[in-house]
Amino acid sequence: HDSASSFKTATQNYTKGYSDAQAKVRDATSNDPWGPSGTQMNELAELTYNQQDFVEIMEILDKRLNDKGKNWRHAFKSLIVLDYLLHAGSENVVLYFKDNIYVVKTLKEFQYIDEDGKDQGANVRQKAKDITNLLMDESRLREQRRSRAHMRDRMLGEGP
Amino acid sequence: YPTRPVDKDKAEAELTINIKKATSPEETAPKQKHVRKCIVYTWDYHSSLSIWTGLRVQPILSDEVQTFKALIVVHKVLQEGHPISIKEGQGQTSWLETCARTVSSDGQKGYGALIRSYVSFILSKLRFHRSHPEFNGLFEYEEYVSLKGIDDPNQGYETITDLMNLQDQIESFQKLIFAHFRHSANNECRISSLVPLVKESYGIYRFITSMLRAMYRRTDDQDVLEPLRSRYNSQHYSLRKFYYECSNLKYLTGLINVPKLGQDPPNLLDSGGAVPD
Repeated sequence: HDSASSFKTATQNYTKGYSDAQAKVRDATSNDPWGPSGTQMNELAELTYNQQDFVEIMEILDKRLNDKGKNWRHAFKSLIVLDYLLHAGSENVVLYFKDNIYVVKTLKEFQYIDEDGKDQGANVRQKAKDITNLLMDESRLREQRRSRAHMRDRMLGEGP
Repeated sequence: YPTRPVDKDKAEAELTINIKKATSPEETAPKQKHVRKCIVYTWDYHSSLSIWTGLRVQPILSDEVQTFKALIVVHKVLQEGHPISIKEGQGQTSWLETCARTVSSDGQKGYGALIRSYVSFILSKLRFHRSHPEFNGLFEYEEYVSLKGIDDPNQGYETITDLMNLQDQIESFQKLIFAHFRHSANNECRISSLVPLVKESYGIYRFITSMLRAMYRRTDDQDVLEPLRSRYNSQHYSLRKFYYECSNLKYLTGLINVPKLGQDPPNLLDSGGAVPD
């Protein structure tokens, strides 16, 4: 992380008084062109099991999802993180986003064309569609959460 | 109300700006980011009243493009906003009628007929929802509603007829929009009004398909349903043509997936048939 934008994020995390959990979400959903790492997302998923961290994480995700077009990567990467949290995070993430599904649903028409004329909004629109469908399909979501937990247990050597 | 971290005063102040920008005089699509804020507002606060008030105080009626854009915003809020928006919209019929009355016969940029037709469609939509409150603004498929209808075949028959009437109205409105395209001009503003129409017509189509199938399963006297079936078939062909024409509009296909219907209508007697998705 040696780019100017990473430095800016780090400075803002400090000066704006973001908590550790919030700084982690901001790093994972920054404007850098590479995606959030598996380690970052896994760490965030673990944190959602702590109530205080959960609230803080939701606050930043909400901000990022509602960011302006130019910052389409904030929205796009937040959707990637959200997808991960819905599978591996605490049940509270599922409840929260079922309750606020319209935040994701209304991103299905997200628009942003960059300076080179490339339609960057398409990424956001597709991801918003996928997550909306997942949130509305209770049994598929349950099944995916179960199989993920099962796999995790096996890998840790604790499962049945 | 909201479980999201929000600030009501800030939301109200921003909403005023969002409405103003969504209904600006430029002949473009209402910017989706502003429309989205309006929709999200209704879910956060379970109210659309500030939106209606906001539309009233904007000086939009003197400009046909602004009026048309306001109607697109209204349509999208009714479709995707909190269900209360439809209820509150039913109290706004006089404002909607004023929109239709104020514009001169065809307007300078040719939006006059479009505005009048849009208003009449929105009023029909509001009437439909008043008599069938079990439907949401986009007619998104919910199995229980179709089952509720067929328990009472008379009610089911009436609901399907009402849905088909609304579908016919979308059909004539979309034709009018296509007829008002201007060569050599940017049609973005007109095209953007097709987006909610594609979504709505497809929701209605899916509903009618599943309800009619359920009716066929339940009834012994299939002749009774024949008039509905022949009307269903003809709507299928019209809709197919509509979607085909939309699929040639690059601006529109960049925003939504336009459904592709089969060459022929699905078989309604095939009880195992899947609902189109």
